[in-house]
Amino acid sequence: MAARPLSPHLSVYRFAYTMALSILHRITGVALAAGLIVLVCWLMAIAGGEAAYARFTAVMGQGLLQVVLAGWLLAFLYHFANGIRHLFWDAGYGFEKAQARRSAAIVVAFAVVAGGVLLYLFFCPEGVRS
Amino acid sequence: MAEFLLPLGSRVNKNGKTHKAPEGATKVRKFRIYRFDPDSGANPRIDTYEVDMAACGPMVLDALIKIKNEIDPTLAFRRSCREGICGSCAMNIDGVNTLACTKACEEVASSDVKIYPLPHMPVIKDLVPDLTQFYAQYAAVKPWLSTRSTAPPDSERLQSKEDQEKIDGPSACILCACCSTSCPSYWWNSDRYLGPAALLAAYRWIIDSRDESTGERLDALEDPFRLYRCHTIMNCAEACPKDLNPAKAIGELKQMMAERQH
Repeated sequence: MAARPLSPHLSVYRFAYTMALSILHRITGVALAAGLIVLVCWLMAIAGGEAAYARFTAVMGQGLLQVVLAGWLLAFLYHFANGIRHLFWDAGYGFEKAQARRSAAIVVAFAVVAGGVLLYLFFCPEGVRS
Repeated sequence: MAEFLLPLGSRVNKNGKTHKAPEGATKVRKFRIYRFDPDSGANPRIDTYEVDMAACGPMVLDALIKIKNEIDPTLAFRRSCREGICGSCAMNIDGVNTLACTKACEEVASSDVKIYPLPHMPVIKDLVPDLTQFYAQYAAVKPWLSTRSTAPPDSERLQSKEDQEKIDGPSACILCACCSTSCPSYWWNSDRYLGPAALLAAYRWIIDSRDESTGERLDALEDPFRLYRCHTIMNCAEACPKDLNPAKAIGELKQMMAERQH
C-alpha cells in the first residue's frame, strides 16, 4: 500500500477575507519591524547634526525609497487598525460572524482612506495643495 | 514549520479520467473530484464526472451517490445520515469545508463542482481522510464530566436551565472536522495545536456547571501551542455547517486563562 498523500490545502481553499486579513496582519507586522531600522537611522541622523540629517533626507527622497515609505505608511495604518480589532477580540467582543465581517471592512476602509489622505498631504506638491 | 507546497507524492494530476454524460442527458453538470488509489501508488488525480442533474437529487451527496451507483463504483467517500447530524460526509466543496449532504449543488456558484477531501489531512482513499489524530485531540481534552464530589444517591447531577443553555451551543458539535481542517494555523501546527473542534469541546466542559475539574482543564491548555496557536483567523466559524463559533469559544478560553493569572 502506498504512503498516504497529504490532501491539498492552500491551493484549493477559497481565499476568504478571514485568511486575507490574518496573513496581511502578519506581513505588515514583519514589514513594520524591518522598517524600524529606517526609523533608527532617521533618529541617528537627527542626533548626528545638520549635515547627517541632510544626507539622510537626500537618500530617502529618492523615488523608489519614497514608494517604500508610502507602503510602510499603509502597512502601519492597517496593522494599527487590525491590532485594535484584535484587542476587541481579546476583550471578548466581536466574535459573531457578522461582526467580524463588519470590523474587517472597517479596518480595510480605515487603512485605505487614512492612507490616501496622508499620502496626499505628504506627496502632493505644495502648489497643487494650496 | 509551515510547508506551503504539497510533498511530491501528494501533488495532484489535474488530468484524470473523464466520464461522459449518458446520451439524452438534458441538464449536465461537471463534478471534478479528487481521486487517490492507495493500491496503485500513483499520485492523486482529478477525475471529471458529467452528471445529468435532471435525474439527480439536489444535494452534493446525492450527486456523489449517483456517481458511485451509476458511473464509477470505485469512488470512495464517507456518508451516513444524509441530514447533517452525523458529520461523516465532511469534505471541501467549491473551496470551502462543509457537509455534502446539506450543501445543495445549486448553491455552488462555480460552473463545475470541485470536490476535495478535508484539507491538509492524510488521505486513505479518494475523499476519505485519516482522522485518527483529530479524534486523539478530541480525546486529549477529556470530553466527559469530571467530578470530585459524591453523586446524589437518588437523582442525577442537576443544573439550572440557564446553565444548560450555556452548553447547548457547543454540545451541538458533530465532530465533522470542517472547522479544524479549514484553519491555516491547524494546517501548519496540527501536531501540537489542538484545533478549533477539540478546543470547542474543552470549552463545553469547562463552562459546564456540573464539572469540577475546570482548573485542571485550563492547566492542560496552558501551553504555547495547544491553545495559543489560534490567531482568530475565523475560518472555523465561517466553515462550521452547524453554525457554531469555535473562535468565540477559544477567545473565552484565552480570557479565562488571563483572568486566573491574578
